[in-house]
Order: sequence, then structure tokens, then C-alpha cells
Amino acid sequence: MLVKLAWNGMKSKRKSYIILLTGLVMSIAIFYMFQTLALNNEFTSDNAMISSMQLVFHVGSFLLAVITFFYLLYTNTFLLSLRQREYGMFLLLGAKKSHLKRLMFLENLLIGAMALVIGIAAGTVLSWITARMVMGQLDAGLEGYHSFYLPSLVVTLLFFLVLFIVTAVWNHIKLSRVQVLDLVHADTTSDRMPARPKVNIVMMAAGIVSLTGGWLSLIFMEQLRETGIFSAAILTTLGTYLLFSSLLPVLLKAVKEKGTWKEKGVRAFTLSQLTFRVQNLKKFLATAAMLIALGAGAISGGMAFKNNAPVFAEQAGFYDAVVHNAGPEAEEILDDITFTGIWQYRYKQNEDYTFYLKEDLEGQPPKMRTSSGGVKTLENELPEDRESLADVKAARDPGSEWTRFLQRELSRDYSKAPLIVSRALYENIDAEEETVFAGKSDDFMSYLDPLAALEKIKEQKMEEAGKENYYSRSKYATFDNYQTLATGTVFMGFFLGTAFLAMMASCLMFKVLSGAAGDIPRYRMLQNIGVSRRLLKRSVAGELFVIFLIPAVLGLAHVLIGMNMFSFILLEPYYRIWVSLLVFILLYFLYYGLTVKMYQGMVLPQQK
Amino acid sequence: MASSVVKVEDVNKVYGSRKEASYQALDNVSFSIGEGEFVGVMGASGSGKTTLLQTIAALDRVTSGSITIAGTNVTDMKEKELTDFRARRLGFIFQDFNLLENMTVYENIALPLFLQNQKGGSVREEVQRAAGMLGMEDTLSKYPAMISGGQKQRAAAARALVHHPSMILADEPTGALDSGNAKGLLETLQHLNENHGVTIMMVTHDAFSASYCGRILFLEDGRLYKEMQRNGTREEFFKQILDEQAEAGKKKL
Repeated sequence: MLVKLAWNGMKSKRKSYIILLTGLVMSIAIFYMFQTLALNNEFTSDNAMISSMQLVFHVGSFLLAVITFFYLLYTNTFLLSLRQREYGMFLLLGAKKSHLKRLMFLENLLIGAMALVIGIAAGTVLSWITARMVMGQLDAGLEGYHSFYLPSLVVTLLFFLVLFIVTAVWNHIKLSRVQVLDLVHADTTSDRMPARPKVNIVMMAAGIVSLTGGWLSLIFMEQLRETGIFSAAILTTLGTYLLFSSLLPVLLKAVKEKGTWKEKGVRAFTLSQLTFRVQNLKKFLATAAMLIALGAGAISGGMAFKNNAPVFAEQAGFYDAVVHNAGPEAEEILDDITFTGIWQYRYKQNEDYTFYLKEDLEGQPPKMRTSSGGVKTLENELPEDRESLADVKAARDPGSEWTRFLQRELSRDYSKAPLIVSRALYENIDAEEETVFAGKSDDFMSYLDPLAALEKIKEQKMEEAGKENYYSRSKYATFDNYQTLATGTVFMGFFLGTAFLAMMASCLMFKVLSGAAGDIPRYRMLQNIGVSRRLLKRSVAGELFVIFLIPAVLGLAHVLIGMNMFSFILLEPYYRIWVSLLVFILLYFLYYGLTVKMYQGMVLPQQK
Repeated sequence: MASSVVKVEDVNKVYGSRKEASYQALDNVSFSIGEGEFVGVMGASGSGKTTLLQTIAALDRVTSGSITIAGTNVTDMKEKELTDFRARRLGFIFQDFNLLENMTVYENIALPLFLQNQKGGSVREEVQRAAGMLGMEDTLSKYPAMISGGQKQRAAAARALVHHPSMILADEPTGALDSGNAKGLLETLQHLNENHGVTIMMVTHDAFSASYCGRILFLEDGRLYKEMQRNGTREEFFKQILDEQAEAGKKKL
């Protein structure tokens, strides 16, 4: 009988339960996805740019768990708001409370079990798709990553089971305290008027001060270092909460009381709805802003590491291509690249040294990167001509700019020290003459394919020559190495950020939706007095837009300022930041649209 | 009688489409209400009086027949036109006051004007006028939660007439009020009708409320079976209504 009652009750509110189930499935899927990464030590430590990636994931896991917990509480309130009238009627008809509790427990169990099965399946598919997508996007493999990972499965199952039990107990307590009449008349209790204490001004001032402090710490992270990380985290969070709590209601009230623009259509109603809603939501919106900052920050951070690759490669050396003894195959490839500058030097090698012909270096002064990132033409005095090779060797200055340049940019074998010799000495060296070609293209990034081909030829040559300890310092190799490592970081940042954003948006969605039941009579009344459906829909969309907009604005401000944090690991933390912002905005808009649609479906009277 | 505001002709309303499960809520109802009239519709629960009000308010469609309000046939209007019509030509007072508790009394009363995109100055004027008619000037800045039930219902009445509707439709307006407040509201409606010429149609099952009307239509099982005109004092009319109800009750025994 109980099962039947529970089932019938759920069937009668099928639409709402589908929303609830979808939300739960999403949260489980996200949690599981996250765990596939967090628990896979091998993959994270092998693929991360930051050594403390593991720590990031532990903190991330903890945070996600906390959000998920709150999320479940919200969905639970939502569930209760769906059924309270029915429960009240059962009680009125003489059902025992213990019966109801069992009924509720059963419902929770049913939904929980369904959500777990679907959620983990969805999580596996989603993480597989995400991994594929990232791999396809970055054309790099993610070896060691499994979309189906048993430890993650176990952790997800255990975590949600515990959560379901906790919420069941929570419901139990809540239902024990509640009176029959409260449930029956749950719909008619009205919202209380917001109070306006004077402490507001103090809170506002404190909020502005701490937010400024937090932002300043972020901006001057390089100078503050460890202190900066702590002060930024604490002050920014504190400031966000204080400002949201004190400023939002006052601001909306001011808007509401001033001006005549609100006296048009349902604007007055929309604004009134907002003022009341914000009163209940302000703390939650502050949390949302922080989570947006964390999520978008994680995506931006990952992207910035990845986007750093061209910048990083540019730092590695001036020449885009350095080819020793180019064969016909290499020549052909070089022909396809448009060079803005070409340098060619002759040299000879023996056991221990590479001898460069002085006049070549003199005739085509080479360029090199300075340590500060600029480009410099080497026009220093070349070493004086010597009588014999022995004298040249003796006069060798390992610290000179020329030596460093030859070693870093041109040499192909580090075991041989570079020497610069006059033509007279050069001609007497008993070795085959070799050439090195160095070229600067008009755009490094657009010649990745030919450069990769050159790299391959070079590797082949080196292999044939039997140089096992060979290490390529070419720009392309630097770029490629960095790229591979960064791919892992991007993947993780993307995962971490998306998980946070999706979870936060789900929370926001349910927090908003759980208040919808109380709005139903208001919208019905508005329609009765002749407000068109279109206008009501617009009112809902407008109200929710502001609710979604507020945390997004502050959260994004946090991100934009917060990326400074990486300024001492990344060359350009803001490089292409719009990509990550776009990801965030798209995801966020998706949730906004979803929430609006669901809200409209819940509060607007059925069409006749 | 002056020109008619409402003209209901042969209206039928059938709920449910299948023959066996269908239920006739209104059965060939015809009547008209003249301008400046205060008409009551009486009947027991399930007699069809709320359905009648809803069809006139264009909240519900009729199955057949036609309803004309102030020269406009509402039965063949499109949904969008209906909404607009409702917003401009009708005022509503419901049993549960239906004020929006997140807006001040002023904003609640002004809402129909906002919806017509009227601008600041004229809105304030109209709200003051409507509030003045109902003695609500002092409560305008308060929220509904801060005022009494009687004041709420008066605010609802002010909202119903702020935009000069052709007619006010009241659905058991005294249903949620104590006797003192109920009397106050009915006197207010009577005052609006007599001194300001507002046309009112009120649905009620309560003889005392009905005694304030000028004319009463009796409804049973969806059929109009009697009409009563008030000729003497309210007390006499009240007695007539009670007698009529007793008569109708006897027939059932």
C-alpha cells in the first residue's frame, strides 16, 4: 500500500520529479566525472604542469562534496514543497507520522537509486566524450585516463549513499517537528517583509574594504607570494559575502523606489519579486559568485597554460627552424615555409669541438633571445684571430654571449664545445665541412606541420648517427613537449571548472525552483486580471536574469582580477582568456534557459 | 433600464467531451445586465454560478451561445484579445483577496494601469481617486501583510475599479471576511454602485450579501430559474430572498 501511495504521488507530479531526477543525475554524473580524474594519481601527476595538482584535486573534491551536499538539501526542500499538501492531507485523514516518514524514505530511496544508476552511466559517457573532445581538440592522447574507473565508482556510490541517508534523516527530523496545519496551509503563508537594520552601512563598508584588499592581493601576488594567496582567498570571500548581504537588498529597493520606468507593464511586479527573492538568496548568490570564480578560474587557468605554448616556444629561441646539412627532403620542406630571415653558417667538427667559420658569423650577425624576452642582434666583438687551434681553445670564454648563442641556438651536439675560428685555421681542420641553416618564419604557429616533418628528419638522422643522448632544443620540440604536458592540465582545468560551474548552476536552479511553488497563486492572479502569458513569461525571464546575472558579474570580476595569481608561473595569464569566459557563458546561459523554462512551466497557469 | 453592459444569450457550458462523462454546468442561460446595475447571482455549490462568472470574465470558454460585454462579443475573441479585453474592461474581486503580498497597496492598486502602460502622473491620480472612493488613502504605502482582511478586500476593490472598467465581477467577495468587515465591504460596493454608477455582478450563496443587490438571478443545476427585483428596503428584500430559498428547499424534500 505504502509503495503504491509513494508511486502514485510521484506519478501525479511526474514533471517535477523528472526535473528533480535530472538534477540528481547531473550532480552524480559530475561528481563521478570528477572522481575519475581525482582518484587517478598516475594520470594527474604525469600530466600536470603544477606539482601540487594532487592537492588541487583533493581540495576540489572536498569543495564539490560540500556543494553536492547543499545541492541535495535544496532538492530535498524542493521535494518537500512538491508534496507537502499531499502529506498534510494524509495526516489529516489519520495517517500516522511514522507512515509518512516511511513513505518519504521510500520515495527518497527510489529516486536516489534511480539517479545513482543513471548518473554513473551518464558520468561514464560524459567523461568519455569530454576526454575524446579534449584529445581531438588538442590532438594529443590522454594515456592513463579511464572514463570507467572502479575506485571512482565505489567512491561515488558510497558518497551518495551517505548523503541520501543524511537527507533522509533530515527529512525525518523536519517532519517530526511540523504540524498538520502547517502542511495543509503551506501554500498560503506569506513572505515576511525584509528588515533593514542600520548595521548595513557598516557591513557595506567592511565588504568594500575587504574586497578591495582581496583584489589588491591578487594584483600584487608576485610581491606578496604566500601571504598573498591567503589574504586573497580570505578577503575576497569575506568581501563578496558582506557586499551581497548588505548591498543587494538596498540596491534593489532603491531601484524600486526611484524613477518611473518601473511603472510600465509588469515591471513593478518583477521588481517586487526580485526584492523578496534576493532577500532569501543573497547568501547563496555570494556562494555562487565564489564558485563561478573558482570554476571559470580553473578553466581559464588550464587554457592559459595551454595557450602559453606558443609564447613559451617563442621564449625558447629566436629561430623557428634550425637544420643541419639539409638534404633534398629537408630543402623541399623549407621551400614551403615563408622565412622573413635566413642565416647560414659553415662549421666543422672533431671529437670534442665544433669549429664555426668566423666570417660567416661576421657577415650575418645572428639574432637571439635575451633573458628578458626581447630579441637582440649579436654584434659583439668576435674573438680575436689566433695563430693556432690550441690558442683558440685556450682563449675560449665559456661565458661569452657568442658561446652561449652557439650552444643554445645552433649546436646539435652538446658534448662538443663551440669555437670560432678564422678562415686560415678553418681550412686546415681535417673534417668535412657542414652547414647549419637557421630561419625565422613569418608565423611560427602556421608552420607546425612542416616543422614537425623537419623534426622527424632530424631525429632519423640522429638515430642513424647513433647519438642516443641526443636532446633536441629546437623551438618546435620545446613547443611540442610543452603542448603534451599542457594538454593534461587543460583537460583537468576544464574538468574541474566545468564540474564546479555545472554543480553551482544546478544548485542555483534548484534553489530558485524550490521557491516557485509559492509563486503559483501570484501568477494565476496576474493572469486573471488580464496580464498576457507573454508578459508573464517575460517577467519570469527578467527576474531570473537578474538573479543569474548578479553572481556572474562579480564572479567574472574575480576571475579577471584573479588570473594575476598565475603571473609568476605563466608568461601571459590572460592569453585568450575569452575562450574560457565563452565556455562559462555558454554553460551558464544553458542553465539560465533551463531554469526559466522550468520555472515558467511550474508557475504559469495551464493554457486552456 | 439603460443600455445593457452584459448580454448573455443561450449559453451552454459542457465539461468533458465524452457523452457519458460530460457534465452540463450551464444550461441555456440568457440574461442581460444594464449599465449601473448591481446584480447578484445566487445558487448552491455546484449550481454553476462560478462557471457563469468565469465565462463572462472570459476566463473560460462557452460551449455554445454568445456573451456580449459593452458591445463586444467575447465568445469568439482570440486568447490574446481576451487577455487585453480583461485587462481594460473588467475589474475583479475574488474571495481570497489576491493582493500580491510582495508589493505595496499602492502598487497593487496601480497594477492594472501599469499594465496599460499609463505614465506616472495619471497613475498617481487614478490610484488616489480609487483609494479615496474606498477610504484607503492612509494605507497606500503599506504591504498587504500589514493591513486587516477588510482593508485588503477594499484594496482589491480599489484595484478592480482603478482603470474604469465596464463592470466589476465579484466572486464571493465576503467569503473570507468576518461579519463586520463583510458588512463594510458590501456597503462599499453598494456605495460605489449608487453614487458612482459602477456596474457590479456579484456571485454569492449568502442571502445577506445578496440583499445588497438590486436584482438577483437564481441558478440551479446550471439553469436560471428565477429572477428577483428589489423594490422596497433591504430588510424586506433580505426576507424575500430567505423565503425564496426556503421555498426552493421545500421543493426538494
